[in-house]
Amino acid sequence: MPWESTIPNVLAGDGQPLAAGAPAAAMDNEQFAGFYARSARSLWAYLARVSRDRALADDLTQESYVRFLCASHPVDGEVAARRYLFRIATNLLRDHWRRPQSSSIDDMPEEFFTARCDEGQADSMAMLGPAMAQMRPRDRQLLWLAYAEGYSHHEIAEVTGLASASIRLLLFRARRRMARLLRQKGEA
Amino acid sequence: MSPFTCTREREVTELLHQGYWPEACPAELRTHVETCRSCSDLVLVTQALQTSRRHALDIPRLESPGALWWRAQLRRRNAAIESVGRPILGAQIFAFMLLIVVAAGALVWKGNLLRAWLADFPRALHLDALVPSAFSQSGGMGWIVLPAIATVALLSGVLVYFATEKQ
Repeated sequence: MPWESTIPNVLAGDGQPLAAGAPAAAMDNEQFAGFYARSARSLWAYLARVSRDRALADDLTQESYVRFLCASHPVDGEVAARRYLFRIATNLLRDHWRRPQSSSIDDMPEEFFTARCDEGQADSMAMLGPAMAQMRPRDRQLLWLAYAEGYSHHEIAEVTGLASASIRLLLFRARRRMARLLRQKGEA
Repeated sequence: MSPFTCTREREVTELLHQGYWPEACPAELRTHVETCRSCSDLVLVTQALQTSRRHALDIPRLESPGALWWRAQLRRRNAAIESVGRPILGAQIFAFMLLIVVAAGALVWKGNLLRAWLADFPRALHLDALVPSAFSQSGGMGWIVLPAIATVALLSGVLVYFATEKQ
């Protein structure tokens, strides 16, 4: 007998909404199943596109949810819970990048990221994959959060831990570089 | 207007996120985007990333939420057990250190009495009856008592170790 059948309604996609101000750890499995169904794919997409490694995205998605459920941090409704989840995922991604010898992701050579590019071949957007590969990891994070997820500068600052005031400039530079790369790919 | 952005960026962003770009947007705004570098970058990048996101949403084979929920419960339970066990371990270490200090103090204070008792111990148990008289006359019975005590101590340590491992 598959073990999932022993857990009632856990695979149902429509759980109750999250209670405002309650910690994520207070969620029951039905609430969590609903929240997971609504948020897991976008979290995976974020991790896969920023890390350019699907296996890593699988692992970090699971770890993010487990940590989210263990956290005593109060979450004020579903939007805040999603933001908190993205923050956990961003920290895990940063920890993953820092684990090799380099002390900062900004110091790491770009080849480290492009060499692991199995995502680019499968990317349905033939232009976006190579362009993303040439961006710095932090820029990929910022661009994804701002333009794919639609987060505001304040929310991006909360997720990434960067200063809110610097987001605008960093995002502007990243967007300009990305647009230039996309145009180059389009012309080529 | 900020040096980095165009004043109409917010308008364009809203249309892009609501899915109204480019069909349901005013012709005048489309003309602006064609001429404004900042807005055309915004449209190009947002459309590329949103398309990528739409495709990426269909890719993952996600872990069952039930499995994650149970894994989180297990981790929380283990963390709770660990946090409860930490003061107990501290108390055990403190008690052991205290025992060593007290034992060392007692040895220093009553060392002479202990030595005398140890010397008299084999005679009290009549151990000299178990060994040939040549041995007992040559070096006393300390060579039997001390290894016996060491063996008992060693075996006790091994027993305590296995008992702790089982727990």
